[in-house]
Amino acid sequence: MSIERGKINSQQLLFLIAGFVQGSILLIDFTVGITEHQTWMVILAGLAISAPVILSYVALAKRFPGMNLVQINDMVYGRFLGKAVSMYYIFFFVMTLSFNIRDVGELYVTFLMQDTPFIFFLVVFAATCAYAVTKGIEVLGRVSHLFVVTGLFVIISTFILLIDQMDFSNFLPLFELPFIRIFQGIHIVSIIPFGETVAFLMIMGRLNKTEHAVKRTFFGLSIGALSLLVVAVRNTAVLGRTQTIWTSPSFQSIRLINIGTVLTRMDFLIGIAQTVLIFFKCSLFLYVLVVAVSQLFGLKSYLPLVLPLAGIEVIVAATVFQSPVDHAMITQNAGIIYSVPLVFIFPPLSLLIAKIRGLPKFERGKET
Amino acid sequence: MIYLLLIYAFIIIINVPGLIKRKEWRELTAFSILYAIAFALSLMYVLDIPVPSPMKGLKHLIVDILGIEYPQG
Repeated sequence: MSIERGKINSQQLLFLIAGFVQGSILLIDFTVGITEHQTWMVILAGLAISAPVILSYVALAKRFPGMNLVQINDMVYGRFLGKAVSMYYIFFFVMTLSFNIRDVGELYVTFLMQDTPFIFFLVVFAATCAYAVTKGIEVLGRVSHLFVVTGLFVIISTFILLIDQMDFSNFLPLFELPFIRIFQGIHIVSIIPFGETVAFLMIMGRLNKTEHAVKRTFFGLSIGALSLLVVAVRNTAVLGRTQTIWTSPSFQSIRLINIGTVLTRMDFLIGIAQTVLIFFKCSLFLYVLVVAVSQLFGLKSYLPLVLPLAGIEVIVAATVFQSPVDHAMITQNAGIIYSVPLVFIFPPLSLLIAKIRGLPKFERGKET
Repeated sequence: MIYLLLIYAFIIIINVPGLIKRKEWRELTAFSILYAIAFALSLMYVLDIPVPSPMKGLKHLIVDILGIEYPQG
Protein backbone atom coordinates (compact mmCIF):
# COMPACT_ATOMS: atom_id res chain seq x y z
CA MET A 1 0.00 0.00 0.00
CA SER A 2 1.25 3.44 -0.84
CA ILE A 3 1.58 6.11 1.85
CA GLU A 4 0.92 8.91 -0.67
CA ARG A 5 -2.40 9.04 -2.52
CA GLY A 6 -1.63 12.08 -4.69
CA LYS A 7 -0.70 11.71 -8.36
CA ILE A 8 1.37 13.89 -10.65
CA ASN A 9 1.53 13.96 -14.42
CA SER A 10 4.68 13.98 -16.53
CA GLN A 11 4.27 17.71 -17.31
CA GLN A 12 4.41 18.42 -13.57
CA LEU A 13 7.43 16.13 -13.27
CA LEU A 14 9.18 18.31 -15.85
CA PHE A 15 8.63 21.45 -13.76
CA LEU A 16 9.42 19.67 -10.49
CA ILE A 17 12.82 18.62 -11.86
CA ALA A 18 13.52 22.02 -13.46
CA GLY A 19 12.65 23.86 -10.20
CA PHE A 20 14.64 21.37 -8.15
CA VAL A 21 17.79 21.91 -10.24
CA GLN A 22 17.21 25.68 -10.30
CA GLY A 23 17.11 25.52 -6.48
CA SER A 24 20.84 24.77 -6.56
CA ILE A 25 21.75 28.05 -8.26
CA LEU A 26 23.24 29.36 -5.03
CA LEU A 27 25.35 26.23 -4.77
CA ILE A 28 27.34 26.74 -7.97
CA ASP A 29 29.38 29.11 -5.79
CA PHE A 30 31.05 25.96 -4.41
CA THR A 31 32.31 25.24 -7.91
CA VAL A 32 33.29 28.80 -8.84
CA GLY A 33 36.10 28.88 -6.26
CA ILE A 34 37.63 25.79 -7.89
CA THR A 35 36.90 26.13 -11.60
CA GLU A 36 36.89 29.95 -11.84
CA HIS A 37 36.11 31.15 -15.39
CA GLN A 38 35.67 27.60 -16.69
CA THR A 39 32.58 26.95 -14.56
CA TRP A 40 30.33 27.03 -17.64
CA MET A 41 32.26 24.11 -19.16
CA VAL A 42 32.02 22.18 -15.92
CA ILE A 43 28.22 22.62 -15.86
CA LEU A 44 27.91 21.27 -19.40
CA ALA A 45 30.28 18.38 -18.67
CA GLY A 46 28.40 17.64 -15.42
CA LEU A 47 25.12 17.54 -17.35
CA ALA A 48 26.59 15.24 -20.00
CA ILE A 49 27.84 12.82 -17.32
CA SER A 50 24.73 12.96 -15.12
CA ALA A 51 22.06 12.78 -17.84
CA PRO A 52 22.45 9.03 -18.62
CA VAL A 53 22.46 8.21 -14.89
CA ILE A 54 19.36 10.33 -14.29
CA LEU A 55 17.65 8.62 -17.21
CA SER A 56 18.47 5.31 -15.49
CA TYR A 57 16.45 6.61 -12.50
CA VAL A 58 13.49 7.08 -14.84
CA ALA A 59 14.02 3.60 -16.31
CA LEU A 60 14.05 2.20 -12.77
CA ALA A 61 10.87 4.10 -11.84
CA LYS A 62 9.17 2.85 -15.03
CA ARG A 63 10.20 -0.72 -14.25
CA PHE A 64 8.68 -0.48 -10.75
CA PRO A 65 5.53 1.59 -11.36
CA GLY A 66 3.84 3.00 -8.27
CA MET A 67 6.81 2.12 -6.05
CA ASN A 68 9.22 4.41 -4.28
CA LEU A 69 12.95 4.00 -3.72
CA VAL A 70 12.62 2.25 -0.34
CA GLN A 71 10.20 -0.32 -1.80
CA ILE A 72 12.47 -0.82 -4.83
CA ASN A 73 15.51 -1.36 -2.57
CA ASP A 74 13.59 -3.93 -0.50
CA MET A 75 12.60 -5.79 -3.63
CA VAL A 76 15.97 -5.66 -5.38
CA TYR A 77 18.40 -6.18 -2.48
CA GLY A 78 16.20 -8.14 -0.08
CA ARG A 79 14.72 -7.07 3.25
CA PHE A 80 17.89 -6.52 5.28
CA LEU A 81 20.36 -5.24 2.69
CA GLY A 82 17.54 -3.22 1.11
CA LYS A 83 16.82 -1.52 4.45
CA ALA A 84 20.54 -0.77 4.89
CA VAL A 85 20.71 0.84 1.43
CA SER A 86 17.52 2.81 2.17
CA MET A 87 19.03 4.07 5.45
CA TYR A 88 22.11 5.22 3.55
CA TYR A 89 19.73 7.16 1.24
CA ILE A 90 17.86 8.58 4.25
CA PHE A 91 21.16 9.79 5.71
CA PHE A 92 21.89 11.47 2.35
CA PHE A 93 18.45 13.13 2.35
CA VAL A 94 18.88 14.32 5.96
CA MET A 95 22.30 15.81 5.29
CA THR A 96 21.47 17.38 1.92
CA LEU A 97 18.29 18.95 3.26
CA SER A 98 20.15 20.35 6.28
CA PHE A 99 22.80 21.88 3.96
CA ASN A 100 20.09 23.54 1.88
CA ILE A 101 18.22 24.88 4.93
CA ARG A 102 21.54 26.19 6.23
CA ASP A 103 22.17 27.89 2.87
CA VAL A 104 19.01 29.94 3.33
CA GLY A 105 20.07 30.97 6.83
CA GLU A 106 23.56 31.92 5.62
CA LEU A 107 22.07 33.86 2.68
CA TYR A 108 19.88 35.95 4.99
CA VAL A 109 22.41 36.45 7.77
CA THR A 110 25.20 37.41 5.33
CA PHE A 111 23.35 39.58 2.84
CA LEU A 112 19.86 40.56 3.86
CA MET A 113 19.21 40.68 7.63
CA GLN A 114 22.50 40.62 9.48
CA ASP A 115 21.09 41.35 12.96
CA THR A 116 18.48 38.59 13.05
CA PRO A 117 19.44 35.33 14.84
CA PHE A 118 20.50 32.55 12.45
CA ILE A 119 18.24 29.94 14.10
CA PHE A 120 15.17 32.13 13.52
CA PHE A 121 15.52 31.83 9.73
CA LEU A 122 16.03 28.08 9.98
CA VAL A 123 12.91 27.58 12.13
CA VAL A 124 10.67 29.79 9.97
CA PHE A 125 11.97 28.29 6.74
CA ALA A 126 11.64 24.67 7.94
CA ALA A 127 8.12 25.36 9.25
CA THR A 128 7.10 26.78 5.84
CA CYS A 129 8.55 23.74 4.07
CA ALA A 130 6.75 21.45 6.55
CA TYR A 131 3.47 23.20 5.75
CA ALA A 132 4.07 22.66 2.01
CA VAL A 133 4.88 18.99 2.60
CA THR A 134 1.65 18.38 4.54
CA LYS A 135 -0.21 19.45 1.38
CA GLY A 136 1.35 16.54 -0.53
CA ILE A 137 3.25 16.06 -3.77
CA GLU A 138 0.18 16.75 -5.90
CA VAL A 139 -0.04 20.35 -4.67
CA LEU A 140 3.72 20.88 -5.07
CA GLY A 141 3.42 19.50 -8.60
CA ARG A 142 0.52 21.82 -9.45
CA VAL A 143 2.42 24.97 -8.39
CA SER A 144 5.85 23.86 -9.67
CA HIS A 145 5.61 25.84 -12.93
CA LEU A 146 5.23 29.09 -10.94
CA PHE A 147 8.57 28.50 -9.21
CA VAL A 148 10.31 27.69 -12.48
CA VAL A 149 8.87 30.77 -14.20
CA THR A 150 9.92 33.00 -11.25
CA GLY A 151 13.45 31.58 -11.41
CA LEU A 152 13.68 31.99 -15.18
CA PHE A 153 12.31 35.55 -15.01
CA VAL A 154 14.95 36.66 -12.50
CA ILE A 155 17.80 34.86 -14.27
CA ILE A 156 16.92 36.21 -17.73
CA SER A 157 16.06 39.76 -16.58
CA THR A 158 19.29 40.14 -14.57
CA PHE A 159 21.27 38.76 -17.54
CA ILE A 160 19.72 41.36 -19.85
CA LEU A 161 20.24 44.22 -17.36
CA LEU A 162 23.92 43.31 -17.03
CA ILE A 163 24.70 42.90 -20.74
CA ASP A 164 26.40 46.32 -20.95
CA GLN A 165 28.82 45.33 -18.20
CA MET A 166 29.78 41.97 -19.66
CA ASP A 167 33.25 41.34 -20.99
CA PHE A 168 33.42 38.04 -22.82
CA SER A 169 37.22 38.05 -22.84
CA ASN A 170 36.85 37.03 -19.17
CA PHE A 171 36.30 33.48 -20.44
CA LEU A 172 39.80 33.30 -21.86
CA PRO A 173 42.13 31.47 -21.73
CA LEU A 174 40.26 28.23 -22.21
CA PHE A 175 41.58 24.97 -20.70
CA GLU A 176 43.95 26.83 -18.40
CA LEU A 177 43.17 25.07 -15.13
CA PRO A 178 44.77 21.75 -14.08
CA PHE A 179 42.71 18.66 -14.87
CA ILE A 180 42.18 17.70 -11.23
CA ARG A 181 40.39 20.98 -10.52
CA ILE A 182 38.15 20.55 -13.56
CA PHE A 183 37.46 16.97 -12.44
CA GLN A 184 36.57 18.14 -8.93
CA GLY A 185 34.31 20.83 -10.43
CA ILE A 186 32.54 18.26 -12.61
CA HIS A 187 32.19 16.00 -9.58
CA ILE A 188 30.59 18.82 -7.55
CA VAL A 189 28.18 19.78 -10.35
CA SER A 190 27.25 16.20 -11.16
CA ILE A 191 26.40 15.54 -7.50
CA ILE A 192 24.96 18.79 -6.17
CA PRO A 193 22.44 20.03 -8.69
CA PHE A 194 22.11 17.02 -10.96
CA GLY A 195 22.85 13.94 -8.83
CA GLU A 196 20.52 15.09 -6.07
CA THR A 197 17.66 14.35 -8.48
CA VAL A 198 18.02 10.76 -7.23
CA ALA A 199 15.47 12.00 -4.68
CA PHE A 200 12.92 11.85 -7.51
CA LEU A 201 12.98 8.06 -7.23
CA MET A 202 10.76 8.70 -4.20
CA ILE A 203 8.40 10.82 -6.34
CA MET A 204 8.31 9.16 -9.77
CA GLY A 205 6.21 6.31 -8.40
CA ARG A 206 3.35 8.83 -8.12
CA LEU A 207 3.30 9.46 -11.89
CA ASN A 208 -0.13 8.72 -13.34
CA LYS A 209 1.37 7.79 -16.73
CA THR A 210 5.01 6.95 -17.31
CA GLU A 211 4.90 7.15 -21.15
CA HIS A 212 6.60 10.52 -21.58
CA ALA A 213 8.62 10.40 -18.35
CA VAL A 214 12.04 10.05 -20.04
CA LYS A 215 11.47 12.94 -22.43
CA ARG A 216 9.99 15.23 -19.75
CA THR A 217 12.72 14.41 -17.23
CA PHE A 218 15.39 15.24 -19.75
CA PHE A 219 13.61 18.46 -20.71
CA GLY A 220 13.23 19.49 -17.04
CA LEU A 221 16.88 18.73 -16.44
CA SER A 222 17.81 20.84 -19.48
CA ILE A 223 15.82 23.84 -18.21
CA GLY A 224 17.58 23.55 -14.84
CA ALA A 225 21.01 23.15 -16.44
CA LEU A 226 20.37 26.08 -18.78
CA SER A 227 19.49 28.26 -15.77
CA LEU A 228 22.73 27.29 -14.04
CA LEU A 229 24.66 27.93 -17.24
CA VAL A 230 23.18 31.41 -17.73
CA VAL A 231 24.04 32.31 -14.11
CA ALA A 232 27.61 30.99 -14.47
CA VAL A 233 28.12 32.85 -17.78
CA ARG A 234 26.64 36.06 -16.31
CA ASN A 235 28.85 35.98 -13.22
CA THR A 236 32.04 35.22 -15.15
CA ALA A 237 31.32 37.79 -17.88
CA VAL A 238 30.55 40.52 -15.33
CA LEU A 239 33.01 39.79 -12.53
CA GLY A 240 35.83 38.04 -14.39
CA ARG A 241 38.53 36.62 -12.14
CA THR A 242 37.25 38.56 -9.12
CA GLN A 243 34.25 36.21 -8.90
CA THR A 244 36.34 33.80 -6.82
CA ILE A 245 36.86 36.32 -4.00
CA TRP A 246 33.19 37.05 -3.33
CA THR A 247 31.08 35.01 -0.92
CA SER A 248 28.25 35.09 -3.46
CA PRO A 249 29.22 36.05 -7.04
CA SER A 250 25.53 36.27 -7.99
CA PHE A 251 24.81 38.93 -5.36
CA GLN A 252 27.93 40.84 -6.30
CA SER A 253 27.16 40.88 -10.03
CA ILE A 254 23.53 41.93 -9.47
CA ARG A 255 24.70 44.79 -7.25
CA LEU A 256 26.48 46.22 -10.30
CA ILE A 257 23.22 46.75 -12.20
CA ASN A 258 22.90 50.45 -12.85
CA ILE A 259 20.51 51.53 -15.58
CA GLY A 260 20.51 55.34 -15.69
CA THR A 261 20.85 55.47 -11.87
CA VAL A 262 17.17 54.44 -11.72
CA LEU A 263 17.41 50.65 -11.74
CA THR A 264 19.99 50.02 -9.03
CA ARG A 265 20.31 47.82 -5.90
CA MET A 266 18.58 44.93 -7.64
CA ASP A 267 20.08 42.34 -5.28
CA PHE A 268 16.68 41.93 -3.63
CA LEU A 269 15.66 40.12 -6.85
CA ILE A 270 18.30 37.48 -6.22
CA GLY A 271 17.22 37.30 -2.58
CA ILE A 272 13.61 36.65 -3.61
CA ALA A 273 14.47 34.19 -6.40
CA GLN A 274 16.89 32.19 -4.31
CA THR A 275 14.54 32.03 -1.33
CA VAL A 276 11.67 30.87 -3.55
CA LEU A 277 13.76 28.29 -5.40
CA ILE A 278 15.49 26.88 -2.31
CA PHE A 279 12.10 26.73 -0.61
CA PHE A 280 10.84 24.59 -3.49
CA LYS A 281 13.90 22.35 -3.41
CA CYS A 282 13.80 21.97 0.39
CA SER A 283 10.07 21.21 0.33
CA LEU A 284 10.69 18.43 -2.18
CA PHE A 285 13.61 17.12 -0.14
CA LEU A 286 11.62 17.22 3.12
CA TYR A 287 8.75 15.42 1.38
CA VAL A 288 11.15 12.75 0.09
CA LEU A 289 12.76 12.35 3.51
CA VAL A 290 9.46 12.09 5.35
CA VAL A 291 8.03 9.56 2.86
CA ALA A 292 11.25 7.49 2.96
CA VAL A 293 11.28 7.35 6.78
CA SER A 294 7.54 6.53 6.88
CA GLN A 295 8.05 3.77 4.32
CA LEU A 296 10.93 2.38 6.35
CA PHE A 297 8.75 2.29 9.49
CA GLY A 298 5.90 0.77 7.43
CA LEU A 299 3.42 3.54 8.27
CA LYS A 300 0.04 4.23 6.63
CA SER A 301 0.59 8.01 6.51
CA TYR A 302 3.65 10.24 6.48
CA LEU A 303 1.92 13.28 8.02
CA PRO A 304 2.73 12.61 11.72
CA LEU A 305 6.47 12.60 10.94
CA VAL A 306 6.62 15.93 9.09
CA LEU A 307 7.09 18.24 12.09
CA PRO A 308 9.47 16.03 14.15
CA LEU A 309 11.71 15.55 11.10
CA ALA A 310 11.58 19.29 10.32
CA GLY A 311 12.64 19.89 13.96
CA ILE A 312 15.59 17.51 13.60
CA GLU A 313 16.57 19.19 10.31
CA VAL A 314 16.64 22.64 11.92
CA ILE A 315 19.11 21.55 14.60
CA VAL A 316 21.26 19.53 12.17
CA ALA A 317 21.35 22.56 9.84
CA ALA A 318 22.31 24.88 12.69
CA THR A 319 25.12 22.70 14.01
CA VAL A 320 26.46 20.67 11.06
CA PHE A 321 29.10 23.24 10.07
CA GLN A 322 30.91 25.85 12.14
CA SER A 323 31.06 28.51 9.42
CA PRO A 324 30.37 29.08 5.70
CA VAL A 325 34.08 28.29 5.02
CA ASP A 326 33.77 24.96 6.88
CA HIS A 327 30.57 24.34 4.87
CA ALA A 328 32.35 24.91 1.55
CA MET A 329 35.48 22.92 2.50
CA ILE A 330 33.58 19.81 3.64
CA THR A 331 31.06 19.93 0.78
CA GLN A 332 33.83 20.18 -1.84
CA ASN A 333 35.46 17.01 -0.49
CA ALA A 334 33.74 14.55 1.87
CA GLY A 335 30.27 15.88 1.01
CA ILE A 336 30.49 14.94 -2.65
CA ILE A 337 32.53 11.75 -2.17
CA TYR A 338 30.14 9.92 0.19
CA SER A 339 27.18 10.48 -2.13
CA VAL A 340 28.81 8.92 -5.23
CA PRO A 341 27.48 5.38 -4.58
CA LEU A 342 23.96 6.71 -4.00
CA VAL A 343 23.88 8.77 -7.17
CA PHE A 344 26.01 6.83 -9.63
CA ILE A 345 26.19 3.22 -8.43
CA PHE A 346 23.03 1.99 -6.65
CA PRO A 347 20.33 3.11 -9.14
CA PRO A 348 22.01 1.65 -12.29
CA LEU A 349 22.98 -1.43 -10.24
CA SER A 350 19.36 -1.85 -9.07
CA LEU A 351 18.23 -1.60 -12.69
CA LEU A 352 20.75 -4.23 -13.73
CA ILE A 353 19.80 -6.60 -10.90
CA ALA A 354 16.09 -6.08 -11.65
CA LYS A 355 16.72 -6.97 -15.31
CA ILE A 356 18.76 -10.07 -14.44
CA ARG A 357 16.26 -11.28 -11.82
CA GLY A 358 13.27 -10.33 -13.96
CA LEU A 359 11.87 -8.04 -11.28
CA PRO A 360 9.23 -7.02 -10.46
CA LYS A 361 7.15 -9.48 -12.53
CA PHE A 362 8.79 -12.45 -10.84
CA GLU A 363 8.00 -11.06 -7.38
CA ARG A 364 4.43 -10.27 -8.37
CA GLY A 365 4.05 -13.77 -9.73
CA LYS A 366 5.35 -15.17 -6.48
CA GLU A 367 3.04 -13.02 -4.43
CA THR A 368 -0.11 -13.92 -6.33
CA MET B 1 13.70 27.97 26.15
CA ILE B 2 10.08 29.05 26.47
CA TYR B 3 9.75 29.18 22.66
CA LEU B 4 11.18 25.67 22.40
CA LEU B 5 8.62 24.30 24.87
CA LEU B 6 5.79 26.13 23.10
CA ILE B 7 6.84 24.82 19.66
CA TYR B 8 7.12 21.25 20.88
CA ALA B 9 3.84 21.46 22.82
CA PHE B 10 2.20 22.70 19.60
CA ILE B 11 3.63 19.72 17.67
CA ILE B 12 2.10 17.32 20.22
CA ILE B 13 -1.26 19.10 20.20
CA ILE B 14 -1.67 18.92 16.43
CA ASN B 15 -0.47 15.32 16.01
CA VAL B 16 -1.10 13.13 19.02
CA PRO B 17 -4.91 13.44 19.63
CA GLY B 18 -5.63 12.43 16.01
CA LEU B 19 -3.27 9.45 16.17
CA ILE B 20 -4.83 8.20 19.44
CA LYS B 21 -8.35 8.74 18.13
CA ARG B 22 -7.63 6.75 14.96
CA LYS B 23 -5.74 4.13 17.04
CA GLU B 24 -2.67 4.44 14.79
CA TRP B 25 -0.24 3.00 17.34
CA ARG B 26 2.55 2.31 14.85
CA GLU B 27 2.41 5.91 13.63
CA LEU B 28 2.34 7.12 17.25
CA THR B 29 5.45 5.06 18.07
CA ALA B 30 7.37 6.39 15.06
CA PHE B 31 6.23 9.92 15.87
CA SER B 32 7.33 9.53 19.51
CA ILE B 33 10.81 8.27 18.57
CA LEU B 34 11.46 11.12 16.12
CA TYR B 35 9.84 13.66 18.45
CA ALA B 36 12.14 12.56 21.31
CA ILE B 37 15.22 12.88 19.06
CA ALA B 38 14.12 16.31 17.80
CA PHE B 39 13.37 17.54 21.33
CA ALA B 40 16.65 16.23 22.73
CA LEU B 41 18.66 17.88 19.92
CA SER B 42 16.75 21.17 20.32
CA LEU B 43 17.28 21.10 24.09
CA MET B 44 21.02 20.53 23.59
CA TYR B 45 21.13 23.44 21.17
CA VAL B 46 19.23 25.77 23.53
CA LEU B 47 21.39 24.79 26.52
CA ASP B 48 24.59 25.32 24.47
CA ILE B 49 25.60 21.66 24.73
CA PRO B 50 27.64 20.81 21.60
CA VAL B 51 25.57 18.75 19.13
CA PRO B 52 27.81 16.21 17.34
CA SER B 53 28.00 16.90 13.60
CA PRO B 54 27.56 13.81 11.38
CA MET B 55 29.67 15.49 8.69
CA LYS B 56 32.67 15.66 11.05
CA GLY B 57 32.54 11.88 11.49
CA LEU B 58 32.03 11.37 7.77
CA LYS B 59 34.96 13.65 6.97
CA HIS B 60 37.12 11.70 9.41
CA LEU B 61 36.10 8.42 7.75
CA ILE B 62 36.61 9.58 4.16
CA VAL B 63 39.60 11.89 4.49
CA ASP B 64 41.54 10.56 7.49
CA ILE B 65 40.80 6.81 7.39
CA LEU B 66 40.16 6.10 3.69
CA GLY B 67 42.51 8.88 2.54
CA ILE B 68 40.19 10.07 -0.26
CA GLU B 69 40.52 13.82 -0.76
CA TYR B 70 40.94 16.34 -3.53
CA PRO B 71 44.23 18.28 -3.37
CA GLN B 72 43.81 21.77 -1.91
CA GLY B 73 44.64 24.97 -3.76
